[in-house]
Amino acid sequence: MAETTTDSVLVTESVAKYDGAETARKQPPPEKPADVRRRSLVIVSFWLIVLCLGLPIWWQTTTIYRAKLPLDDMLDWAEGRACRPVFPLRISVEANDLQQQEAQNLLRLTQHALDDLNDFSGHHLRLQLSPPGRQNESAEIEDTSALTIRLLPGDSPASALHPYSSILDITYPPNSVPTQTSSSSALATYIAGQLRSTFAEEQAIISYLLSTTSFSNEQRPQGLTPEAAESLAKRTTRSLKYSPTYHLTFSLFTGGHQPSSWDIEAAVDEFMRPVLDVLTPIHNFTIDTQIQLYAAPSVQSQVLNKEDLSSFVNAAEWPLSPSIGGAPTVNFIAYIGNQTIGLPPTDQDASDGALATSQSWLVPQWGTVYLLPLPEDTTHVSVLTLKQPLLTFTSHLLSLLGTPQSGSLPLRLSTLSRIRSADLLLRASSTLGSLARLSLALPSISIPSSVADGVAKTMAHLRLACDTLGTPEALYHARVAEQEAERAFFEKSMVGQLYFPDEHKIAVYLPLLGPVGVPLVMGLLNELKAWRKRRREALEKGKAKKDT
Amino acid sequence: MNGGKVTLGRTAGLYIGAAVLRLALFTVFPGLPDLLTGRVEISTPVTSFKRLQEGLFLYNHNVSPYDGGVYHQAPLFLPLFSLLPSSSSFPIFTYLLYIVVDLLSANALQKIADSGEAVSSALFTSPRREKRWSGLVIAAVYLFNPFTIATCLGRSTSVFTTCAVLHAIAKAISGAPISAMIALSFASYLSMYPLLLLPPLLLLSYDRQPALHTQKSLLAFTLKHISVVTGVLSTLFSMSYLITGSWEFLPSTYGVQLTLSDLTPNVGLWWYFFVEMFDSFRSFFLAVFWLHLSSYVGGLCVRIRTQPLVVLTLLLGIFAIFKPYPSIADMSLFLAMVPLYRHVFPLMRYTFVVAAVVMYATFLGPAFYHLWIYAGSGNANFFYAITLVWGLGLSLMVCDLTFAVLRDEWEVERPEMVGKEIRQI
Repeated sequence: MAETTTDSVLVTESVAKYDGAETARKQPPPEKPADVRRRSLVIVSFWLIVLCLGLPIWWQTTTIYRAKLPLDDMLDWAEGRACRPVFPLRISVEANDLQQQEAQNLLRLTQHALDDLNDFSGHHLRLQLSPPGRQNESAEIEDTSALTIRLLPGDSPASALHPYSSILDITYPPNSVPTQTSSSSALATYIAGQLRSTFAEEQAIISYLLSTTSFSNEQRPQGLTPEAAESLAKRTTRSLKYSPTYHLTFSLFTGGHQPSSWDIEAAVDEFMRPVLDVLTPIHNFTIDTQIQLYAAPSVQSQVLNKEDLSSFVNAAEWPLSPSIGGAPTVNFIAYIGNQTIGLPPTDQDASDGALATSQSWLVPQWGTVYLLPLPEDTTHVSVLTLKQPLLTFTSHLLSLLGTPQSGSLPLRLSTLSRIRSADLLLRASSTLGSLARLSLALPSISIPSSVADGVAKTMAHLRLACDTLGTPEALYHARVAEQEAERAFFEKSMVGQLYFPDEHKIAVYLPLLGPVGVPLVMGLLNELKAWRKRRREALEKGKAKKDT
Repeated sequence: MNGGKVTLGRTAGLYIGAAVLRLALFTVFPGLPDLLTGRVEISTPVTSFKRLQEGLFLYNHNVSPYDGGVYHQAPLFLPLFSLLPSSSSFPIFTYLLYIVVDLLSANALQKIADSGEAVSSALFTSPRREKRWSGLVIAAVYLFNPFTIATCLGRSTSVFTTCAVLHAIAKAISGAPISAMIALSFASYLSMYPLLLLPPLLLLSYDRQPALHTQKSLLAFTLKHISVVTGVLSTLFSMSYLITGSWEFLPSTYGVQLTLSDLTPNVGLWWYFFVEMFDSFRSFFLAVFWLHLSSYVGGLCVRIRTQPLVVLTLLLGIFAIFKPYPSIADMSLFLAMVPLYRHVFPLMRYTFVVAAVVMYATFLGPAFYHLWIYAGSGNANFFYAITLVWGLGLSLMVCDLTFAVLRDEWEVERPEMVGKEIRQI
């Protein structure tokens, strides 16, 4: 096509030149000045279009827009220079039976002992004395402090964690209270040890998170044993990726035609809703349920062994949608059948036996299956029957969400929110770093302004999250930061041109513009040559005239 | 020519014959119009009768005709066609409309031919002027050209553009520059590309001004008539705005031609190129293609200033090759103008090759399209290859005509070279 184009151009121009060319051999009459001028005009008319319209359009349409990114700041975030993840945990101490002076002293000693024990600088436990006589207002204190220690006089040193609130009761023999002058105290050391063990898991998880990212070495904890790291890695892979909303799907599968109804709504309200409610600050949940009759599992054998468990779910036939409305789905399946799980007797160790009871097992990052044996003629599954499955589902949900395993529920949840905010903070930072490295590595990639906006938003929220670490706002800011960072990184118009080296441009331009350009350039060159020749001749003529 | 009466009778006979042939084809083969309407060689996204039906349906149901992105034609077609009885129940009225438009085009062409502008313009008279065909013959060649008949049967709306362009030229030659500008504005309103014909048409009407009120300055003449075109176009646009109630028609009609957002295959060269194009270079190459199309206007106007009608003819040929959505309707318009240059035919060198290539592409094009779309045994390259051949044949014809016209001009200057072999260097 391009050749035909040039053909017609060539003809117009070369025909215009016949006079000059053809007559050169036979000494023709000289070219008329009008013809020369006309030819120049033709060439100028083509070049005017190229220069006045072509060039600006070329410039306009092929310049790569690169919004300015704060690369240094982004790399600072990725390498952990911009933010030291510090979790200041305030622990209030209620010691109503001690005198103010004594309590202060005990507090000081305990703090000392804690600081001595602490090998991980990111995790600060700060003790403070709550004013005496304000027990009834403890709800207010709970908002700001992670844990409350209640010191109660007793016979021997002992500690007990309240199962449903974040209160640690410590009893002490009255005589062990340190005096004003003593520089160490058994009681203080004891309290410090108790506190440390209470927060040991959180500390381990956070230091594990830091160690897996590129945050600088100095903050990396040394106290993490390889075994501990391995079990943490296992737990991290088991839990779902963080999302502000999860979709819970409760499915009842049965091999026959009954039961055909279940009281799942009432059961969820009764057994699961309380846990979902306390999880609200961290996650939202949407729920749907379904019943599928004549649903056969992939494994038919009566006793399921460990290998069968992974293939039990019949993914091809059971209607289990992977995700609804963008939120990841957690599947809870109750399968009506009298199959049992055969556990090898040796398999009772913590790593596997804890997961699989004789009736249910947890599928990592996916959900839970519960085998529910029912009499043959059951047509309706009552709330009571569903109690045990739902309690199992609830505890599995917590571990799927990555909740720590030890401690009371409020304590575990506040730990979860801190872990999640640290996790999101680190992920958003490393995404920022990847984006910065990408834009440095590919100078020809276009960066739309939406990416720059996203980066600015991410950094603002990261800063806020970093400043408020340990509080609920931190989770919100970290979540926004992570979403913005992901959106900026996966910007569509950027990904398309990920790899487009300059050599490709020749391949794009040359096939069309080459053939069009050759006659244009040659015409211009010939014209310039002819013009110079004419000028020289005119000059010589002028000289000759002067000479004569 | 033997007397006005005989000519009149012959003309009437010719028109009646052409109309009867078309009516016969319409009625004897009732499936033929719809078959041809569906052919990509005849119906492009901007001229298709099927798409017009869709737009008409939406328009009659008070929905914006451009909703759905199927209809890309001028809004003024809609009231015109909704005045006619529905083409599915009374197709005869639509047929009659298209036949009348064809006859009007032939009439304009006959006027152009009879004026003798092709052989002797205001600034140049060909030494071969005796050897030319009468307007009747040229009208007959147009009316019985299979491409014209196929376009008429396929009810492509480009026949309206053809008619407007031919009338613009005829009016310019007969010394009615304002009417010529109005006709050209209509053509541009319908298809946009005829706007590029404005410079040669201005030259033509400037050269053929009636002696009574001749305007001396070309600049003043140009400015005056450009303002006429602007005025008519803005009137047409505001009427369209009133009809559709929004400016949506601008991006949907002219925007589609400018950005080639509909990549339905056609006989042109654009669609395949832009199917393959990298997205980031798309806008650049769209600009390159459009600039390429329009770059010929200036050069040709300067080079063949003495014969503006030649410039118009050559440009119509170039548009038939390099337009974004060409069809055989553009070919038929170009072929309507070419017989005006009967006197330079002996100077053309590739007549046989051109005829062979065009026939080859005409027969193999539908076959390759069938292989690609229906049989599935070919791919897009089959059809694109044949459109390349088609483009090659057409451009060869344009080049050859250019060569012949320039040689004719040159022989006036150098009478001693008549009949001698020349070589292109």
